[in-house]
Amino acid sequence: MLIETDILVIGAGPAGSTAAKHAAEGGARVLMMDKKSEIGAPKRCAEGVSNGGLESLGIEKNPRWITKELDGVRLISPNRTDVWLTSDKIDLPEAGCILERKVFDKYMAMDAARAGAQIKIKTLATGMEKTDDGYLVSAESMGESFQVKAKIVIAADGPESRVARWGGLNTTAKPKDMESAAQFEMAGVEMENNNCIEFYFGSVAPGGYAWIFPKGDDIANVGLGILATKTDKTAYEHLLEFVASNPATENAQPVELNIGGDPVGGMPKKLATDNLMVIGDAAGQVNPLTGGGIISGMTGGMIAGKVAVEAISEGDLSRKKLKKYEDECQEAIGKSINKYLKVKDYMLTLNDSELDSIAEAFQDVEFEKVSTTELVRKLVKVSPKALLKLGKLF
Amino acid sequence: MIVKEWCMYCGECAGVCPRNLIEVRELTLKFNEDQCKECSLCIQVCPVKALQEDK
Repeated sequence: MLIETDILVIGAGPAGSTAAKHAAEGGARVLMMDKKSEIGAPKRCAEGVSNGGLESLGIEKNPRWITKELDGVRLISPNRTDVWLTSDKIDLPEAGCILERKVFDKYMAMDAARAGAQIKIKTLATGMEKTDDGYLVSAESMGESFQVKAKIVIAADGPESRVARWGGLNTTAKPKDMESAAQFEMAGVEMENNNCIEFYFGSVAPGGYAWIFPKGDDIANVGLGILATKTDKTAYEHLLEFVASNPATENAQPVELNIGGDPVGGMPKKLATDNLMVIGDAAGQVNPLTGGGIISGMTGGMIAGKVAVEAISEGDLSRKKLKKYEDECQEAIGKSINKYLKVKDYMLTLNDSELDSIAEAFQDVEFEKVSTTELVRKLVKVSPKALLKLGKLF
Repeated sequence: MIVKEWCMYCGECAGVCPRNLIEVRELTLKFNEDQCKECSLCIQVCPVKALQEDK
């Protein structure tokens, strides 16, 4: 069997669905496939997004996929000095919310379907070969093998990023650039303020951080990311220790375990080649400091979807044309990713006592808004070392 | 490669495989052993220690 399409999107996470939606809205024939039997499950995510990010993508918030509106942030240093950034103290909170990814991802795919995209689930791309006018992708679904002939392939296959590599793009993540993450969704979590997301820094999560993201009532995502290059223990082992030693979670019970990789090395230089673009986690479209990649991946997807339509209508599917995606991505998310890459590198140099000193110094700081940028700006003010490394950037 | 029963098919191993040899399905993990150079990066990053060299 051979299916012909203009655009084939491989992977139906938020980035893939956004690309499929925008491509279909533009009038192209779009097929999106996902290897899983349920889009959005299992989640591999702490589920936080900023409201501004959703707005920038033209997505209206829907109570069916929002579990919690957030009021602020609590940062906790190794000796439990905490820094609160909440709306009662700050004039301009950058509000955000916690999603239910299993519902959100499906809704994004449904939007793509309503825009005209065809969807195949439980369908795995097993390989692809270049043809004169695009790609011939081999796929398998429920025991059936078939091929898809596409003018443009959009690779959205997550941290594995196999598809882009088949097409010759170098998207392999090095272990030092891949956070290894483990998370429980738990009930019985006793947070000091369950309207705030919590970040725990230091040796509790070597090379990353631990988090508690509230999902309403006593429910929360409790997880951490580590770099395998910085510890001999697995992410899961660190998670068990964190949960047992944290007052908020010592009496909580898990109802779900999530694990996965998060590419925090920034975007590869090349995101497009003839007839192929790579988006989302597969393209390292993740804030390297926070590991957050929902909005940035969807932004990449939106740009790729639009550029794909343009390329098809102009009949130019060359790298030269698709480079427009790369350039627009650099502008929209790349610059910020590069800045946060520097902050991440700086954070990796700090030991527990230095983190404690920063938390101590933050006690007297008045934050003007709740945002990652604001935090780094204030960090530069209290730490001469940070000023030296990051002063010019923030 | 021995894939332990508790593997959750998250695909982190596939992402770091320098030769792109690991195929992750919903409930299986397949290694192209013929081309594997035993760099062990996949074993190193696994969040749950589900991979073990087959020796």
